[in-house]
Amino acid sequence: MYSYASRLKAMRDTKIAHTLAKRKQNGYTDLDDFGTVPISEGYFVEPWYNSTNGSFYGYDGMCENFCRVLDAHEPYIDPNEMLCGRWRDMLVNYRGDLHYMPDWLKKNPKTQEFMKSATNQWSKRWDEQRFPYDHLKPLQEKYNITTGIDGDAHFACDYRIGFELGFGGLLKKIDKYRAINLDKREFYDAEERTVEAIISFVQRHIDKLETMIAKEENRAVRNNLIEMKQTCENIRYNAPSTFQEACQWTAFFNCASRIYTRDGAGFQLDGLLYPYYERDVKAGILDDEKAKFLIANLLLIDPHYYQISGVDENDKDMTNHLSYLILEAADSINIATNLTVRVHENCDKEFMKKAVYYLLKNKNGWPRFCNDKALAEGYMRNGIDKKTARERIAVGCNWMCVPGKEFPMNDTVKVNVAKVLDEALKDLRKEEIRSTERLFEIYEEHLKKAVEVTAEGVNLHIDHAWEVTPELVMNLMMKNTLERGEDISQCAELYTVGIDGAGLAVVADSFGALQTRVEEEKLLTWDEMYEALDSDFADERTRLILNSAPKYCQGGTISDEWAKRLTESWVRIVKAQSMPEGRQFIPGWFSWSRTIEYGSKVGATPNGRRSGAPISHGANPNPHFRTDGAPTAQANGIASVQCGYGNTAPLQIEFDPKLAADEKGVDTVLRLIESHFNQGGTLININILDSEKLLEANENPDLHPDLVVRVTGFTAYFASLSPQFRQLVVDRFLQGI
Amino acid sequence: MISGIVADIQRASVHDGPGIRTTVFLKGCPLHCAWCHNPECIERAPQLMYYPEKCIGCGSCDKGCFSGARVICGKEMSVEEVLKEVLLDKDYYGTDGGVTFSGGEPFMQSEFLNALIDACKAEGIHCAVETSLIYFDAEIFRKVDLVMADLKIWDDELHKKYTGVSNEKIKTHFCQLSELHIPVIARTPVIPGICQEIDKISEFLKELSNVEKYELLPYHPLGGAKREALGIEPDGFTIPSKEFMEELEKYVFIRE
Ligand code: SF4
Ligand code: SF4
Repeated sequence: MYSYASRLKAMRDTKIAHTLAKRKQNGYTDLDDFGTVPISEGYFVEPWYNSTNGSFYGYDGMCENFCRVLDAHEPYIDPNEMLCGRWRDMLVNYRGDLHYMPDWLKKNPKTQEFMKSATNQWSKRWDEQRFPYDHLKPLQEKYNITTGIDGDAHFACDYRIGFELGFGGLLKKIDKYRAINLDKREFYDAEERTVEAIISFVQRHIDKLETMIAKEENRAVRNNLIEMKQTCENIRYNAPSTFQEACQWTAFFNCASRIYTRDGAGFQLDGLLYPYYERDVKAGILDDEKAKFLIANLLLIDPHYYQISGVDENDKDMTNHLSYLILEAADSINIATNLTVRVHENCDKEFMKKAVYYLLKNKNGWPRFCNDKALAEGYMRNGIDKKTARERIAVGCNWMCVPGKEFPMNDTVKVNVAKVLDEALKDLRKEEIRSTERLFEIYEEHLKKAVEVTAEGVNLHIDHAWEVTPELVMNLMMKNTLERGEDISQCAELYTVGIDGAGLAVVADSFGALQTRVEEEKLLTWDEMYEALDSDFADERTRLILNSAPKYCQGGTISDEWAKRLTESWVRIVKAQSMPEGRQFIPGWFSWSRTIEYGSKVGATPNGRRSGAPISHGANPNPHFRTDGAPTAQANGIASVQCGYGNTAPLQIEFDPKLAADEKGVDTVLRLIESHFNQGGTLININILDSEKLLEANENPDLHPDLVVRVTGFTAYFASLSPQFRQLVVDRFLQGI
Repeated sequence: MISGIVADIQRASVHDGPGIRTTVFLKGCPLHCAWCHNPECIERAPQLMYYPEKCIGCGSCDKGCFSGARVICGKEMSVEEVLKEVLLDKDYYGTDGGVTFSGGEPFMQSEFLNALIDACKAEGIHCAVETSLIYFDAEIFRKVDLVMADLKIWDDELHKKYTGVSNEKIKTHFCQLSELHIPVIARTPVIPGICQEIDKISEFLKELSNVEKYELLPYHPLGGAKREALGIEPDGFTIPSKEFMEELEKYVFIRE
């Protein structure tokens, strides 16, 4: 048996085995699955440090270590597959930062020797010796800011560049511009070595395939291996010219860019691959079954963020036959994938129905949906033309990017507004006349400072990223980089930098609780409220008085009003922040999966949240916001807190609507999606889960190693998540029943 | 200003009629079904419900309970207040979704119900009612877009025994609805252990051209916790097995 179906099943089983093996090697990871395979026996990399603080930076440091890690990667070939290549390990693991180091690496005695100088500081990722920012740290800590300093890869490549040139063409391009920009030798040397390392990675796959072919006795398998080898040979140097070659080229490039900086931004999958599909079908070398298998294989190799469907610059539907095949392919392998369907009123309605059908049928958190209208029109409000706004596609957890042109640092810059409230509350206590209005004034003063210091950090990062972590792999498919001999951080066309607020619901509900319980109903005095916070709610009744106040997303409540007001204020303050060199901030609401970490920094809050408890997720309401957990109520609330400049405040829903994947089920969920988007919503992550399966898996994750949940923007295997994190997902879920 | 007693308003309900709906539960019902899943909706007047597991023992019941242990079920609401809540999800109703008036027996507060339906219709909202059909209010039936009505047990004696009322009127009302050509989805809650005679109910309903669909709803112990909170004995019924439901489905007529 060597049918597509049996091969896919075997591939899926291998994936599950990998998930369990990785958990053994890495411990729990509350992260994206990334598509890595377990570390192989004897794998070892000796890092090269070029900084006295025990890390490596700059063109030479990044390039040398990238080559070492990539060279250490054994070729990965599964005869069931049609595409090859996988990644296992990434550069950041070697930057002397224990925070990032996986268990398998920590346990290696040889590593321990090399890592003697390693400390538990974040600083090792950023070269603080040369680019210190101690002056910013006090305020960054005060407002619990995720600074973006040392963030990487949060932008998107223009794959058209790579598809057109191939690795050989990239080498030629490097040569061409090296001759023009004579002072950029170091840059071009590093880029050249980077491409050569990828080419030799491809070559090692060719070599291994050759030995496998020699040994393979089954004719069908052998033919497959021969085809794989031919494919690799064709793209080792040349540009891809067939559908299979384009997929394989993507797989190799993605392995390299993941190893380099964990880059997970894909492209418009049904758009860029369509010409290859069309040509091959015409030439008689590709049919739909094979195309689907190749797509499934590509999705298995790496859960990159790909967008499908949507409209072009003239509002014309871009859905094509391949869009359908992509959904069918994802269904055939049904693993963690990050496909985002772009919704527009002109889009093929049947396609939207099919996308929702798979969400209901597989209950695996894919696909997700983004709203073209709100995103494109919002982005244009930053002074950007319509064509460019349409090019800005969904390629990250919560974020969009214009491939090849933009340097948005999206999802790496966040202000914990619950911590800002914490600070404001401390100040209000000293005042004689206390009121929510006064609290809001103080909150805004702090927020301004927080945004200001965030901007300083972001500018430091943009100014010096090229000297610390130049993006040697992704630079290959960006505009201006090779042409000018500059890192993308220096030469992007667009610096629309995303800044997200985290903890909206905690703050909104706190203001709401203060206004109702303290000011209007006078159930508590301000002093009693402060005492309650100080004692972390020693008196449970007091906590419940505050906690039972009307909440954000209940619909038409005071806290709903506060959430809107807080959004208006967040947007106003962020947009007023001046930035140099044409850079500008774009506001959003998003916590990523950091709710536990952010919460640990925030004292007890007036919404009855205990000190150190997690903050609210993304733009979502607090758990138990309504007894019926109505997703429409949540969707209404989140639509009303959109920031309006093209970045998102995602609607994250987990529920078990007990709806079958039939017409009624599909229509109902599609109605929910379309209505939220008509109201101005930007992005929807829906986890339709089987409540029994989820609860069972929470008890014993190994019972369901294939269970996938969309944790936040990303999906993860439930079995890989830490118990604390699993509980958080379960808690969020129960409210939606 | 017309007002009535509302037990609860649930949003995003997808099982009380087509599309996405808001279900308004009106308090009061003249029946006393032994398996009632909304026992808090039988009494018309507001009632205290007590959930001891939520009680924190603060001893300040007289100053209000905030833990959810002592809750009053039933709130006097004006038509405007209900409408405001119903309108919150208007964007999500589309053409088939809307509001469902349930209970209890919504027709027990017929003046309030009538006014609520007028108010919703004026906003262009699809209106459905869930009723035991113990009452017949032609004016209201003519206005609503969908009627979901129960015929719980065929045999009248058994009907009396388990619901406290005769089903003669209910059967008559089914026929009257048919004469008025008002579309109905007929339903029977399946309660294991009671001889409901699904075959006869189905035969009867089949003859009524307005009955678009006949549905069996498996007994659900949802009412259990609420019974306890009201201080009522458990009803003692069990969930029907899948096999049992499949067996009964064979008797259910299907409208071509
Ligand atoms: S007020 Fe509520 S929580 Fe407190 S003792 Fe009374 S019932 Fe219990
Ligand atoms: S008719 Fe409905 S509400 Fe009334 S007693 Fe029977 S089940 Fe309960």
